[in-house]
Amino acid sequence: MGAIRFDNVGRIYGTKQDGFEALKGVNLDIADREFMAVVGPSGCGKTTCLRFVAGFDQPTSGIVSVDGVQVTKPGPDRAVVFQQFALMPWKTVCENIELGLRNKGVPKAERIKKVNDILALMSLTSYADAFPHQLSGGMQQRVSIARAYVLDPEVLLMDEPFGALDAQTRVVMQEELVRLARRNPRTVMFITHAVEEAVYLADRVAIMARQPGRVKEIIDIRSVREAERWDDHEKIEDVMDLESFVHLRTQIWRSLRQEKAMEIA
Amino acid sequence: MSRKAAVGSATIVAALALWFFATTMTQMISPGRFPSPADTWVAFKQITGVGYANGVLIDHVVRSVVLVTLGFLVAICTGVPLGLLMGWSRKAEALINPVFLVIRPIPPLAWIPLAILWLGLGDMAKILVIWFAAFVPSVINAYTGVRNLDKPLIEAAQMLGTPFSTFVREILLPGASPMIFTGLRLSLQASWTTLVAAELVGAMTGLGRVLNAAQQDLFPGMILVGMIVVTLCGWVMTAALGVIERRALSWNTATRAGD
Repeated sequence: MGAIRFDNVGRIYGTKQDGFEALKGVNLDIADREFMAVVGPSGCGKTTCLRFVAGFDQPTSGIVSVDGVQVTKPGPDRAVVFQQFALMPWKTVCENIELGLRNKGVPKAERIKKVNDILALMSLTSYADAFPHQLSGGMQQRVSIARAYVLDPEVLLMDEPFGALDAQTRVVMQEELVRLARRNPRTVMFITHAVEEAVYLADRVAIMARQPGRVKEIIDIRSVREAERWDDHEKIEDVMDLESFVHLRTQIWRSLRQEKAMEIA
Repeated sequence: MSRKAAVGSATIVAALALWFFATTMTQMISPGRFPSPADTWVAFKQITGVGYANGVLIDHVVRSVVLVTLGFLVAICTGVPLGLLMGWSRKAEALINPVFLVIRPIPPLAWIPLAILWLGLGDMAKILVIWFAAFVPSVINAYTGVRNLDKPLIEAAQMLGTPFSTFVREILLPGASPMIFTGLRLSLQASWTTLVAAELVGAMTGLGRVLNAAQQDLFPGMILVGMIVVTLCGWVMTAALGVIERRALSWNTATRAGD
């Protein structure tokens, strides 16, 4: 269970009369175990939407709910993967991953087992006692993903998780995330700038527009992926070569470009 | 590093040679104004042997070190928590900051007369004055440490469902600790400055007392001994604090070395 619903959500900064309207009438339903990517130009409020679900921020109108319950504060049922990793620099990889389990009151033996399992799954075992600064960006983000996954959350919120990584690392991480998501599906809200990334990873892609920020269009990827059997291809570049992939990517690009054109005009 | 050390020791040797040259050899500086190495040695032998100003050197050192340590501990045990509180809670800041802003510009030494009036010439008055002096840097740096905490780290802790006590121990304190230690170093320096001044005004024993007595006795050799010993004590305590800091912040110094 972990269905996310945005019901006519708005966010105004400043006063109601002459404030800045960042989001207006955002409606979005993310089904349980669905992977939803959100793309849009900078300043369209996509990160703000994610922060509502996380409970870091509150909308000024409308309701954001998970499984029908309005979100009011952060919690481990909605794990967040931050763009800048946000690992505690004074804790080792192991301690960082363990913190959430300790907070939940999981007994020590079970904690150790869970941490070791996720370390193995994310190929981090030999780095268990390293400090974050001793790891590359890609490794740090792996730890951050492990920290979120180990909690077995209903909902996984990812705010441009690969935005700070170099292109090669990014591809590896995308492939790994697909592997992880297929093996242990969760409701995922995934914010990104990168259209290819969205098409490759998501079941559906929500395209946002700005001024004020709103959901403009939702594109279904899953039906195409299943019909065209993308999952038969192991490598990301093989999928990206498929005609069906290129078609969807172009469709989203076009929709985003319309936004830009309107802005200039 | 060894090259740096070599240059450093060469400088010290040169300074000592210059001292010997200007005093004993040529008498360019009269012995009444600044002691020669021999005068200083005589004074040192006297204070370690028969004693000076109500005690031998070790008495004075112990007295001063104990007072500094007590004053310093009282100051940081009150200052750091207060700074953390003000950094974390806007309400606490709004409540305490006005008082703090009024008291802060008062030079610590200006409290000495009032402290003596309240508590006499005893140790309590000195601890009180040290507290006033060492308190401020502890508060300000702990406050800044909390305010500079990375916002995503706080949000990550919230997202992980961290209870408040765990948050304070494992996120707030370690996150603010580099700044807290900066505050402790400044507090320790302030403690020594203030102690010597307070002992100059009134004390039976202590390094400030040695300096004061030597000045009244027109005894330049003893003045210099007092200055050197105060410096060494301060230096040893600062170095000890540095060792604790490096241990506590091993994750942080490693970051600096890595960059």
